[in-house]
Amino acid sequence: MTMSKDIDPIVMAVPAAPLSKRRKGSLAWLLNVRLAIGLAILLIMGLGSLILPFFATVDPSIQSSFMRNMPPSAAHWLGTNSLGQDIFWFLVFAIRNSLALGVLVACGVTLVATIVGLSAGYIGGRFERFVMLIVDTFITIPLLPILIILGALIRGNTSFFTVGIIIIIFGWAWDARTVRSMALSLREREFINMARFSGANTMQIIAREIFPYVSAYMVVGFINVVLFAINTEATLAVIGLSKVEVPTLGSIIFWALNYNALFTGQYVWLVAPIIATVTLFLGLFLTSTGFNQAFASKRGVS
Amino acid sequence: MGVLRYVAKRIGLYLAVLFIGLTITFMLPRLMPINPVDGYIGQLQSRANGTLTSEAIAEMRTNLEQLYGLNGNVFTQYVSYLKRVVVDFDFGPSFTYYPQPVSAMILNALPWTLGLLLTATFIAWVLGNMVGLVAGYFHKKRAASILEFLGILLYPIPYYILAITLLLLLAYIFPVFPLSPTFPVGQMTPEKLGMIFYNSLLPGITLVLAGFGWNILSMKALAVATTEEPYVTYARLKGASNWTRMMRYVFRNALLPQVTALALSLGMVFNGALLTEMIFSYPGIGLIMRTAATGGDYNVLYGAITLSIIAVATAGLVIDLIYPLLDPRIRHK
Amino acid sequence: MARLGRSFVATLLLGSLMTTTAFAQGAMSDVGTPRSETLIVQTFDGRSANPTAQNPLNSYAIWRGFRELGWGYLWEMDTATGESYPEMADGFPEVLNEENTQFRIKIRPGITWSDGQPFTTDDIIYSLDTAFKYREQLTNVASVTVYLKSYKKIDDLTFEVETVNPSFDLTTRLGVYTWGTPFNWVPKHIFEPLGDEVVSFQNAPPVTLGPYKVKEFDPNGFWQLWELREDWEKSSWGNLGTPKPKYILYKDFGTEETRALAFVQNQYDIDSFMSPDSIDAAKARNPAIETFSATFPYHDMNDACSYGVYINQQRAPYDMEEVRWALALSLNLSQVGISAMSGQFKAAALPLPDTPITNSIFYEANLQALKDLTIGDGYKPFDAEFSNTLVESLKTQGIDPALLPTGEAIQEGFGAGWWKHDPAEAEKLLASVGIEKGADGFYAMPDGSPWVIEFVIPGDWNKVLQRLGFSIADSWRQAGFNVNARQVDNGEYTTVQNTNARNELQINWSNTCVYNSNWLGNWNQFRESNIKPADSNDPLSGNYARITDPEVLALVDEGSRLPLDDPKFVENGQKIAMEIAQDMQIINLMNIPTTIPTNSTYWTNYPKQDNFYAAPYTWWSSFKKTVVSIEPTGQQ
Repeated sequence: MTMSKDIDPIVMAVPAAPLSKRRKGSLAWLLNVRLAIGLAILLIMGLGSLILPFFATVDPSIQSSFMRNMPPSAAHWLGTNSLGQDIFWFLVFAIRNSLALGVLVACGVTLVATIVGLSAGYIGGRFERFVMLIVDTFITIPLLPILIILGALIRGNTSFFTVGIIIIIFGWAWDARTVRSMALSLREREFINMARFSGANTMQIIAREIFPYVSAYMVVGFINVVLFAINTEATLAVIGLSKVEVPTLGSIIFWALNYNALFTGQYVWLVAPIIATVTLFLGLFLTSTGFNQAFASKRGVS
Repeated sequence: MGVLRYVAKRIGLYLAVLFIGLTITFMLPRLMPINPVDGYIGQLQSRANGTLTSEAIAEMRTNLEQLYGLNGNVFTQYVSYLKRVVVDFDFGPSFTYYPQPVSAMILNALPWTLGLLLTATFIAWVLGNMVGLVAGYFHKKRAASILEFLGILLYPIPYYILAITLLLLLAYIFPVFPLSPTFPVGQMTPEKLGMIFYNSLLPGITLVLAGFGWNILSMKALAVATTEEPYVTYARLKGASNWTRMMRYVFRNALLPQVTALALSLGMVFNGALLTEMIFSYPGIGLIMRTAATGGDYNVLYGAITLSIIAVATAGLVIDLIYPLLDPRIRHK
Repeated sequence: MARLGRSFVATLLLGSLMTTTAFAQGAMSDVGTPRSETLIVQTFDGRSANPTAQNPLNSYAIWRGFRELGWGYLWEMDTATGESYPEMADGFPEVLNEENTQFRIKIRPGITWSDGQPFTTDDIIYSLDTAFKYREQLTNVASVTVYLKSYKKIDDLTFEVETVNPSFDLTTRLGVYTWGTPFNWVPKHIFEPLGDEVVSFQNAPPVTLGPYKVKEFDPNGFWQLWELREDWEKSSWGNLGTPKPKYILYKDFGTEETRALAFVQNQYDIDSFMSPDSIDAAKARNPAIETFSATFPYHDMNDACSYGVYINQQRAPYDMEEVRWALALSLNLSQVGISAMSGQFKAAALPLPDTPITNSIFYEANLQALKDLTIGDGYKPFDAEFSNTLVESLKTQGIDPALLPTGEAIQEGFGAGWWKHDPAEAEKLLASVGIEKGADGFYAMPDGSPWVIEFVIPGDWNKVLQRLGFSIADSWRQAGFNVNARQVDNGEYTTVQNTNARNELQINWSNTCVYNSNWLGNWNQFRESNIKPADSNDPLSGNYARITDPEVLALVDEGSRLPLDDPKFVENGQKIAMEIAQDMQIINLMNIPTTIPTNSTYWTNYPKQDNFYAAPYTWWSSFKKTVVSIEPTGQQ
């Protein structure tokens, strides 16, 4: 049920009061154990996968570069697969591509969802009804069947970033709905009323009162969309609907399953991307909850 | 104060969503690079190659286009599609399995999908929320971190990996469950029901584990946040017991968004169905959708997607209608 | 681990306890039949999405035993020799006129339907009447409605037909050609009372002619159970021998991962396609699992079709012979075969498979011509040593030499040769038509514009072709072609195959299917009428290889007017094969490798390389030969 996960688990945990009394300077309140571990994982994996490819001697996606099915050795840290590719280098490229896709989708989704959700939730009225009509329509269209149809259309024809665009198009609505319901609930809270009574206009309220409140969610939501996007692309790759020749965390698994690695005992081929995926997800998750915790404790301070 | 007016508006929105959804459903398969007639003819060719002459194929092609109602322009097809779906709830015949009606195919598969996925989603929700509540309410205790760790561990594992690992573990290394279940047919007896239940356990467990992590994490986060609300502090000062505070104050309030999540994820079972049914050879609507997409069987796709659109839209409607009852903060002007 | 064990566990589970120890050696199959009397077979095309459709006049689930166990044919084919023999017919048709259009056919007396009613010409006439009457509503009758002009009953066991055109292949058109027939006879006593309803009649469960009848089937389409008729001797092939299994279960065991595991657990007896790596692993885990051949290549290579890269020769730049040859010479088949199929393949350079039957007819006749063939400036492209070189590279890949064939067996196993791998020569050929590599290292069009080859391959509905396709694309990319390998679903695959405007290169098999000297059954599609303009969006009804070569078309046309046993007819076939190869109109690759591993725990004497009494396929009608030849092991 990977697909239902973009109802964000952290959204509901957004701090119950604004944290915006901008205290410039020290960011020390941000630091906690989770965040530190999470960021460290992300940094290592992100930078590693960005820098290492420059040192690659061969393009890992080319077949028969080496002997097939070699065990891990000094020359091939994780061995080679049944296609004669180096598993380690394939993995490095895969992490880079998957992360890039995740970040791209997360930017898109967060941007769209926040603008749409916030304005709908706060402005309300006819505007809200219209926007929510669109949002609800997108939500009701089941993602996976649509992706299967679109997969038939796009696969092979374009870069795999098209997959990313499509995930944005069919993925922003959930987040928009969440943001809007937050805004809806915020609209009724005292500090908003207070602002309204003190004569602030709509834009000012959104910008000064609601946005800071929601911004905590945005960081966290962003990270979760990264997770969601990587996972969705991987799901598509595993059922062969993404561009499987491009190394991604999903396409390694596609190939490993295609060559039945589990059954033939080539565990490294399949286990390596799984560990990488889980570690990456752990990094993303710890970062997002770490942020959340930091925001929460910050509020506790103020 | 128009409660009725609110309800009417919401239902209006619901209908509009359905209409737009149906239209998109109609358009999308037509963008597919597959001519549905080819799907059927390809099937015939693959089993009769060498004996099927060109003339025979040409004759079949003409007949099929006639039978499938594909020979008008797109607009005519759209109007007749809307009419059929809205008035008769009829999706016409399957193209690949002509003349079998789509509604019959879907109705056969639906109980399997709903039975497995609804149950699993609900169990995952209940269990996850209980664990999450405990972990969240006692979030300062070490034991709570262990519970949360369980969630952290389960949540990021991609579903198909979880599924294949469990299959390997529980059906091959320890062959407790069948690798490829055989579902009994004919008159149902308690023994046969037992077989069905038993055969559904492995996909069920996988689904529960997959949904479990998310529920733990979100409930925990909610519970932590709620625990710090002033009214909980007030309750503590008032001398309410731990149990009372956890259940009456924290749980009731934290539950609200979780109910939304549950209702929405009930609608999303159609997504989960696909992978589950592929991996576990489980009969259901996901497999039908997959076959339909590969063969360009528009009518079956319409049927399956329309059904899930209706399910999700209805779930959304129900939430919006009952939400004001649950959350007094949202009033309707 | 069969049913007893399972339901026992199920009962325990209901009592909330799980156990792994309760697996007594199961005596029953999952469907409640004694395992020792049940032959269990993996269904060829997996689960059926519409299992109740069992009316052969419409779409029906052909793969679940109907063709092999249910229906009956006038003439069947002996797949060990490629010869037709009468099944329900009493002898071969009698030709009534000089033009070879009128025939008299007799039916063997004493055949009954599975409900005991006799099978007579009334059934045949009713089937044909219905086909013609509802030809626009029934979706599976066009093969006879375009073939026959008229027909009449003479008596209960004799009838006559007249064909539209002179016909020398009546026995394979109204009977079986290699794997089955597109038109089946239906019982008049069941269908006639339905009147117009026949067009939507589901016919489940059906009344059948074969020795087995449908006992039960899964409404979800995963399995179907057949039971031997008590009066099987009166069935359509009751004279073939004693069918050994009392029950035959066709079941889909799911994805290859689960299938391989279930096979190791002895849950079923015969598989369909299994990839080479899985078979190796399965053999290592269960000695009862056997491949078709004991040495490399393990696969059965006797399929009637061969895989090839079909080129849309109507489209630039593929209309140039030099370009097509450059693609062939850049394709490193030995590397492709090792990456995609662990070296388990049999190369075939002519546009048809190289089998024991076709080898002597087509390959031997052309071998010298292949060796002498020159292209471009006198370059000899054929590599007769292909198989020997392949065996050497398999040795360096660490394959145990004991598993590899030696001497003569090398050519028998890996084929009579293929084209050289020579990218340098390819570069020369391309340069001769003005195609050179651009700045990005890829070949560009003669006018300098980018050239991206669109190469369509199957998605995971055909894993072997999917892997082959990706490896071929990789091989071409390494030689400097910018290839976009596009894996598609089978619906789109067929659309691309049929539509000129959408087709560039496609991996395919549908026009390279010749099983015996009768090449007409398949190559008859190479006709003027099956050629459409290069940019046409109208679907083709044949000739998916886009053969436009007038020489080939003339040979086919001439051949269609010759008796099948005329030496001239066979000669035309040999010429067509060579003509297509020398202009590289199809880059033919290899015989279709079908693995068909078997499990000898419950049954033995399956067809094997050294026991080739029939093609080993469970989805060909000739599977009936296997059914009467296998023996129970006595394993309970």
